Amino acid sequence: MILRLRIGTPAEVVQELRTLIEGQGLRTFLSPEPSRPIVAIVDKAPQALVDQWAARPEVEQAIVPRGEWRLVDRAWREGRTSVSVGRVCVGAGETVIIAGPCSVEGRDLILEGARICRDAGAHILRGGAFKPRTSPYAFQGLGREGLAQLKDAGESVGLPVISEIMDATQVDSFRDYDIDCMQVGARNMQNFTLLKAIAAAGRPVLLKRGLSATVAEWLAAAEYLAAHGSEQIILCERGIRTFETATRNTLDLTVLPLLRQWTHLPILVDPSHAAGIPELVAPLARAAIAAGADGVAVEVHPRPDEALSDGAQALLPGELTRVVAECRVVGAVLGRAFHAQPQPKGAAALAT
Amino acid sequence: MSLTLRHQLTALDRALAHLLDERARLSREMVRGAPLPAPALDDVLARTQGDFPAPALERVFEAVDAGCRQATEGVSR
Repeated sequence: MILRLRIGTPAEVVQELRTLIEGQGLRTFLSPEPSRPIVAIVDKAPQALVDQWAARPEVEQAIVPRGEWRLVDRAWREGRTSVSVGRVCVGAGETVIIAGPCSVEGRDLILEGARICRDAGAHILRGGAFKPRTSPYAFQGLGREGLAQLKDAGESVGLPVISEIMDATQVDSFRDYDIDCMQVGARNMQNFTLLKAIAAAGRPVLLKRGLSATVAEWLAAAEYLAAHGSEQIILCERGIRTFETATRNTLDLTVLPLLRQWTHLPILVDPSHAAGIPELVAPLARAAIAAGADGVAVEVHPRPDEALSDGAQALLPGELTRVVAECRVVGAVLGRAFHAQPQPKGAAALAT
Repeated sequence: MSLTLRHQLTALDRALAHLLDERARLSREMVRGAPLPAPALDDVLARTQGDFPAPALERVFEAVDAGCRQATEGVSR
């Protein structure tokens, strides 16, 4: 249950209401929303009590969320949440592009990839250091060294970085190397121990949708993060498993307008993993922006044939440039501005 | 003109205005690093052989270029 109180309700009245509810053995949360007090009751409350609280003069609206979430529900905030990844705001109404290779494969290669992403106009550099591979014999990533190389490459071109975290024991490594955003992959969407550990780290999180997760399960996973202290959550649709085998997954664009109604969180789309075919990435990226995505995350590699992971779905550098430009145009037609690219600290870095 | 067609015309006009806004934003970003290039008019004319007359399109782009340059005034490099 979410109680949206009237604008201007004094803090002592809000506290009185929370004390009343908590006196019944129920837990409450107070929204960080500055424009009005919003109180969530996270435990199941008897209907008679809910009716009683909803009838109080300070309560403007009592909303029953559609599922097992409160803090990520649309009613929890007045506007939409924007998440700062370094100097890039995701969800602030401007199109954002995340790009980079699937894996960090070495210092020179990630630096080359970073320059490609920067030159194409991308905003955030991605690269996996801990790789969840279907085969135990496939490249598993460079681990901590990969995080160090990713961060160095991002700093050299002025882009914040994002990388996938697979285990709670890796949180310290992400903190040590100041990784700007931690990505929870599809396979770990419901790894609740990991979600709690990440939430405690206080860094932005990109939560990918599980391979077979419903929207309700996805939002419940996001609620885990929020309930444990994370307010900086980005959702990412990356395709779901269906009967269709022509593509790697089926990109569920339906969730974009749906989630706009259900949650205040920003939403990105990963067309590379959805399609698994580079020729499909550009049209799917355009469609994602047209359907209301806050941005897209795509894979690019200077030489996809030599990539150690997912080279078959990676864009070539020139293709990334096209995708970025097309996302900008499609967004602009719909009145959505393109995020300004962050600039490196030293202007000289641009000239390299 | 039917209301439906008028609605479509308004939607197109809004989209044009949004695109011009975005072009001005991009121009402001560009001039931080380099002088603003002129529109690639030859390329645009070669790709658009529709119902909008070419001379009118040229005049539109002259105005677009002028507007974007105006938008970059005061931007420091």
